[in-house]
Amino acid sequence: MPITDTSQRKKFLAQSNVYLPHIVVVDKIIEETPSVRTLHFNFKDEKLRKEFTFESGQFAELSIFGIGEATFCISSSPTRNDHLECAINRVGLVTNAMHRLSVGAETGFRGPYGNSFPLELMRGKNLVFVGGGIGLAPLRSIIWNVLDNRDKYGNIDIIYGARSPADLCFKYDLDSWSQDKTVNMITTVDKGDENWIGREGFVPSILEQVAPSAKNAIAIVCGPPIMIRRTFPVLQKLGFTPEQMITTLEKRMKCGIGKCGRCNIGNLYVCRDGPVFTYAQIKNFISDEY
Amino acid sequence: MTTKKIRKKDIGKLLGIWSQEFSVIVPSKEEGVAKMDRWDGKDISFLDWYRNTVVPSKDNFLPPMEKMFSFQKNRDGYHIEVPQDEQKQLIFGIRPCDARGIAIIDKVFTDTYEDRYYLSKRKNTILIGLSCTNPYDSCFCISLGLKPTESADVDLMFTDMGDEFLIEETADKGEELLAAASVVKEATKADEAKAKTVKATASGMVMRRIDTKDVGEKLQARFSDKDYWEKVAAKCISCGVCTFLCPTCFCFDICDELVKKQGARYRGWDSCSFRLYTKMPMENPREEKWQRVRQKVCHKFEFYPMNYDVIACTGCGRCIRLCPVNWDITQILSRLPGSVTSQSHK
Amino acid sequence: MEQVLRKEARKLLEEEKVDYIVGFAPGSLKFSTTPLITKEKEEIASLVINPFIVNNLAKFLTEVRGRVGIVAKGCDSRSIVSLIQDNQVVKEDVVIIGVPCSGLIDIVKVENLVGKDRDEIDDIALQGEKVVVTAGGKKRELPTKEVFFEHCLGCEFPTPQEYDTLIGEPVAALGDKELSRKKIKELQDMTPEQRWAFWKEQFRRCIRCYACRQACPACFCERCFVEESQPQWVSSVPQWQDNLIFQVIRNIHVAGRCTDCGECERVCPQNIPLRSLSKKMSDLVEEMFHYKAGIDRSAPALMSAYEHAEAEDLIR
Repeated sequence: MPITDTSQRKKFLAQSNVYLPHIVVVDKIIEETPSVRTLHFNFKDEKLRKEFTFESGQFAELSIFGIGEATFCISSSPTRNDHLECAINRVGLVTNAMHRLSVGAETGFRGPYGNSFPLELMRGKNLVFVGGGIGLAPLRSIIWNVLDNRDKYGNIDIIYGARSPADLCFKYDLDSWSQDKTVNMITTVDKGDENWIGREGFVPSILEQVAPSAKNAIAIVCGPPIMIRRTFPVLQKLGFTPEQMITTLEKRMKCGIGKCGRCNIGNLYVCRDGPVFTYAQIKNFISDEY
Repeated sequence: MTTKKIRKKDIGKLLGIWSQEFSVIVPSKEEGVAKMDRWDGKDISFLDWYRNTVVPSKDNFLPPMEKMFSFQKNRDGYHIEVPQDEQKQLIFGIRPCDARGIAIIDKVFTDTYEDRYYLSKRKNTILIGLSCTNPYDSCFCISLGLKPTESADVDLMFTDMGDEFLIEETADKGEELLAAASVVKEATKADEAKAKTVKATASGMVMRRIDTKDVGEKLQARFSDKDYWEKVAAKCISCGVCTFLCPTCFCFDICDELVKKQGARYRGWDSCSFRLYTKMPMENPREEKWQRVRQKVCHKFEFYPMNYDVIACTGCGRCIRLCPVNWDITQILSRLPGSVTSQSHK
Repeated sequence: MEQVLRKEARKLLEEEKVDYIVGFAPGSLKFSTTPLITKEKEEIASLVINPFIVNNLAKFLTEVRGRVGIVAKGCDSRSIVSLIQDNQVVKEDVVIIGVPCSGLIDIVKVENLVGKDRDEIDDIALQGEKVVVTAGGKKRELPTKEVFFEHCLGCEFPTPQEYDTLIGEPVAALGDKELSRKKIKELQDMTPEQRWAFWKEQFRRCIRCYACRQACPACFCERCFVEESQPQWVSSVPQWQDNLIFQVIRNIHVAGRCTDCGECERVCPQNIPLRSLSKKMSDLVEEMFHYKAGIDRSAPALMSAYEHAEAEDLIR
């Protein structure tokens, strides 16, 4: 079943020039791990602050003027709309500059772009969220979205892992979800430290152990490519069909609006036809992606 | 639509009339390289030597480097300024393959979000076509459904009949453009017949062919065949010549320049042939050359048609003529399993 | 000569001394050749030797995996030696099939002199010291001095210095120092202001296709300096200043490795006279360090070797 949602695309176009960023101001910074920080920000313009909406799964292009632009998924949920959040992994020129921003700094924001998680498809189903490392960022948007409308969904399993305890992101969310009795929260690390008392093991192996049922279920996977590559076969073994497996992909992007040609997988552009895809949509071109 | 004609030596006068309203752009040569440039007001010798430019006319709408906006950091925040729209232009002498190339990439720049930079230039530019009476041996436009002597993508079409040029109006704007020009006369039936012969001869000179039937499916069948693509890609050197000089390639990069507190954001040409084109922090899905060559071929002949119903190639042959290693797309496609072996020019 | 070459290449494949053969095959344009990189014995039959074998095949040595039997002209063999000196290629993995080269025809020069493009020319035949061009029924004789590449006219090592087999007999060098430096002399006769204005105009036309860098065997860096973003040395869009700096730094990086194969200039789609820079650089290298690239396989690479007793008068 296709996931594309064209109505969202043109929803927020306050400016006639789609390449011009809006100005946003950073109002809070959370240092998640040594290399990941979350920025909370809001539009400088009052009107935009009130009117802006987006859907879980969509992304934005954040600019540091003079350095460049980079793509980030919006990690906050549209159900908690008083501010926006993005998680920044410090890996290159722009992200290093974003790690030097302080509260009150102004950056550029273009978005929301892309499609979103298919809430209508997920309603009434059991949901299995599988995340790795910073891959939890887009997932947390949809998880809070779902939890804020809990009665519309079935069982919820969240299986999340990182390389080490220090690399776990959104620890405050992991705590909330562990305490939520309607959620089965499983956290793992590839390798624990002396204080770690939780599970140890790669996410796909833990998934196989937990073995959530594929009956009336949808799996949503996000993480580093190697994790996704190893998770799909496990889900297939558990009985998930290609249409039941959803992922959100990341590729190098520049324009974010399907013009610069860079982020394609086959004929699909991650920025325009994604980033949310079913495995069925991408399996023909998967050898180009992974 | 009526047909008109003009004496070859009067074309300068016609360009002069147009110069009063437009910035007229014609074929010219710089350091031996044919390109489209501002008309100097006098020289029409290009009518004798011009075959096609090295850089296609897409550079008028998607230039190699373009300022998107400038920014300045003031006390109260960032001040952003967008460059002014350009003046009206008229490109005289565009070939049907290049005009079609622009029509093909129009689809990308109008899809869902309008690309203001490209479209404002497009709105401000008139294309006047010139029939190809001397195609290269590397041309294969006919296989892509084009004719070297006709174009639906221009407002007027000029055809060289010797001392005179036939002018065909292909769009409403065409009539307007010719209205003020007394050097333009009505064409006779004999003129039309003469032009028809010239056109038939020109079309007959395009010898190279490719088999486009089901090419998308054939490529899909080969998609995961690493050995096949390694052979195809073996002699490519991963430069950007074919993509930069292709009328239907449009990939671009966006980057910022900064000096102290002011700077600008630019966009410029980029190419899927470059190794870092798809590089991400942890991995690069197209690290190997065969993956990039596969992307280039499949994008043009499989993915673009899946999205926009048209093959992203116009048969202009520049990629064959200018490739440093003579990598030849027509040979690749004719050797694709399932294709009819084409008669390619030796 | 071609038959000997094909026999030798076939033998190398059959005796499994190499995994690939890299040579020249007929191109799909008139008067052109194209690199052939193959494992198949059947494809060996298409190997050719003619005055249009322009590519520097050494470029492929840094990416083909396995043992390679490579066809090398004089300049190419020096590039291979230079790569060995830089530890990019292991000699044991390469079988050099040397092809003495008396000079290659620059099709662009022929086109300009005859006033016709290559597809309008019927025949080009090299006959000793002249080239006979047949077009539109008319024959024209042109001296090789007017149609050979400039770098061929100045070639000092037409016979490969390093080879495992030599196809044919060694040939004499053309070695005309003046003819191969015509453009350089023009530039040297200019004032610095004129020269700057000249290069500014040239680099305004550069589109940063990187054909020059990709065709050059000496450019073997996995990550070129233009691809660095931390720090960003050069803008990724083609402003003339960045285009000029790119070429200047590229020439500094290939100093001591450039063998004047002329590919950079030939492949440039904008006809920028890049060889004027690289040839001048090789001349400077020879003047300052008495060194020519790719001559002695066992010698250390010029720019990566340090001798304590070296002259330091360049440091001011």
